[in-house]
Amino acid sequence: MNKLKLLILASVTLLSAALLANPVIYQYDKGLDQGATFFQEQRTLNIYSTVDLDAFEPLLKAFVERHPSTKLAYHDVNSLELYHKVIAEKDRPKASLIVSSAMDLQLKLVNEGLAKTYQSSITQALPDMAKWRSQIFAFSLEPVVMLVNRNQFPGGVLPKNRLDLLQIMRHHSQAFQGKIGTYDIRKSGVGYLLASQDARQADATWGRMIEAFGSHQVKTYCCTSAMIDEVAAGDLLLGYNLVGSYANKRALGDPRLTMIMPSDYTLLMMRTALIPKLAPNAEDAGIFIDFLLSEKAQSLMLKENLLFPISDVSKAINLSEKRSHPTRIIELDQQLLVGRDHAKQSRFIRSWESALELSELE
Amino acid sequence: MWQRSANLAQAESLELNKAPSLRKRFILAGSGIIAVIALIAINLVFNYSQRLADLSYDRLLLSALWQMDENILVEEGRLSIDIPWSAFSTLAQANEDRIFYRVESSVEGYITGNKALISHPPTPSELGKPHFYNHPFSGELIRIVWLERAVTKANIQGTVTILLGQTRLSRETMAASITTRAVQVILLIAVVAIVLIILGSHLVLNPLHRIEELLEERQPGDLTPITLDTPKETYQLKIALNHFMARLHKNLEQLENYTAESAHQLRTPLASLKALAENARDQTTPERQKQALEQIVQQSETLSDTVTMLLNQAVVSHRLQTQKLVPLDLVGLIKQSCMDNAVTALRQGVHLSFESDTGQLMILGEAFSLQQMLNNLVDNAVRYSASKALTTQQAKNVEIHIQQQTNRVLLSVIDFGDGIADEEKKRVFERFYRANYEISGSGVGLAMVKEITDRHQASITISDTYPTGATIGVDFPLYMHQESDL
Repeated sequence: MNKLKLLILASVTLLSAALLANPVIYQYDKGLDQGATFFQEQRTLNIYSTVDLDAFEPLLKAFVERHPSTKLAYHDVNSLELYHKVIAEKDRPKASLIVSSAMDLQLKLVNEGLAKTYQSSITQALPDMAKWRSQIFAFSLEPVVMLVNRNQFPGGVLPKNRLDLLQIMRHHSQAFQGKIGTYDIRKSGVGYLLASQDARQADATWGRMIEAFGSHQVKTYCCTSAMIDEVAAGDLLLGYNLVGSYANKRALGDPRLTMIMPSDYTLLMMRTALIPKLAPNAEDAGIFIDFLLSEKAQSLMLKENLLFPISDVSKAINLSEKRSHPTRIIELDQQLLVGRDHAKQSRFIRSWESALELSELE
Repeated sequence: MWQRSANLAQAESLELNKAPSLRKRFILAGSGIIAVIALIAINLVFNYSQRLADLSYDRLLLSALWQMDENILVEEGRLSIDIPWSAFSTLAQANEDRIFYRVESSVEGYITGNKALISHPPTPSELGKPHFYNHPFSGELIRIVWLERAVTKANIQGTVTILLGQTRLSRETMAASITTRAVQVILLIAVVAIVLIILGSHLVLNPLHRIEELLEERQPGDLTPITLDTPKETYQLKIALNHFMARLHKNLEQLENYTAESAHQLRTPLASLKALAENARDQTTPERQKQALEQIVQQSETLSDTVTMLLNQAVVSHRLQTQKLVPLDLVGLIKQSCMDNAVTALRQGVHLSFESDTGQLMILGEAFSLQQMLNNLVDNAVRYSASKALTTQQAKNVEIHIQQQTNRVLLSVIDFGDGIADEEKKRVFERFYRANYEISGSGVGLAMVKEITDRHQASITISDTYPTGATIGVDFPLYMHQESDL
């Protein structure tokens, strides 16, 4: 085992556009004494994913270590872009596996009949709310959180929930000007999902939140990581609706950052994987799904603070209950389609834009 | 003998193997009917479960549709819809089924939903009334509820149409589970019914086996009726068997009687032959010897006549039992009989006269035995007249009449002899009874005549002729032409 070494063959470029063109390749290092695998033909598993490479890399490495005959080509794609890409490639998909945190878009792909059915003893063991039609599978369950820069936060008392936040923003209105960040729901699939679920859960609070965001010149972002960076740097006081696993990992290593799970309600979202209907190498994609759901991968997620494992659904709920946080799990079912209704979506984005006093995107 | 019976047993078992089995037929027919009924029931259940599943899930679909319908709104002067989350949570109860919808208006066209979902109910549509139907979409059959209604919002004319569809997975699952259970029950009932038929066939056919065993166990000569208690259905069989055995018994009895009678009839002439022969032997003069021999010859002729009569009796008896009755002309038969007997009668000084109303009278009969009967009646009449014919002029005539009375044919043979005493009239038809053994007959006996008339469903009567003599009347049923198919 000491001779095993994993190589990253392609260099990681930071721009996602460049990433698309140049996927990151993971494969088993063919050492000299690995004759057996040397002659074995390697199959390539193309993965389109919205998960940040930092978070996913240890899992990918663990996979190729277990399955030396498979080479992984990892394409990091924005969730909205990913959705359109899958539809564009539906007749001749390049990717064998689609991983995204935009549950509604993923479910919509399944509803359109673009996903392939996959069943194994591992997928069968998943709870019903974490899969649909045996075509889409959730492998992580993550709280949706607020992240604050503790050092710069005015008043010294951190908000516990949304109403607290609204109050603090009212008291320290000046300090918050241009210092709040959230997803641009027009650009980010996840951002839209979280916003629409907020509106669904607590319509009145949501209205007040975006009014407050609008009056404080909220900044919008494409991704959680960008927001975390700015909060850490002090450019933002608070990031709203961040993906829990990323925020958690950074908050653990950075004393300036505090992750807050809102105590009025905390959304729990899932990261899901599906295999396109006509995907090449669907067999390996199935193996990869089984791997993601396996004990090994799930415990790796927990250990490395990468993602919150789906196998710990009850644990995650208990965790929040202990802190008396009501949680709202966004379930994988047909209701997600409502949020992506053409009329509802454009109406929602319009009202979001007007509340946030943003000009319409061209 | 043993070898032969063994062969017989082998042949019987071979035939038994080849023979169609009543029980097998009964079971096959029963099972066939049950199978057909079961198939019909399964088919009904199949349709019913489909309908039931559609009924249940159509309610969800309809409820979601109404929720959508309630949320049609006007936005910046345009029609739009704000689909409530709850609408699809209703549909999510069919947890694996995909959902498709499309909202459009007559003015603006497409509003929201699947652009590709363009469909119209197969039946004539009605405003404001939801229509359910199946429609192929996205690679499978989906169930659609379709609603078009007039828009009642201000300033907007026209109609809005909502199509809401879901795949049929949950429906099929529900229908299949109902069908499976029902089919299981139906099959169970069918199997039980077939088992009952098999058991029932045992019970039903048991009386037959009992009759069979009873007959097998009988002594060869035992022709007494079966007294076994049998159910109604086999009662007729039992009766038929008993009748058959009775007939067999009667035949055997007749056979015995014939044998006895024949012996009886032959013994007297043989004894007298023997006496004559002894007499001839003991005669000393050639003249007397010749005279004795003449007597022997005469006696032999008489014996020959007796043998002929016995043979005729046997033939008649046989024919009566074996031959079918056919339509024939009684007048023709009587004429023939008169001709046959005319010469013999004349020799004895008797005239035969025959009178008939018509040229032809048809009855159902057997020609040979009727001929024998007529011969007997005519011969008897001639013989009883002959002794008196020498003295009385009137006795020289024997008259034969035949006439039709509606559906009967009446035959009368009239003689003017000494007649038959009243106490004898009843006895003449009895076997072995002979008024005068000295007079030999050329036909069959009167007992035989009675048997022949019985077989022809005719009645025979003896009455007195005025002033003296006997009249024998035979009353036949007339053969009707429409019964020619007999």
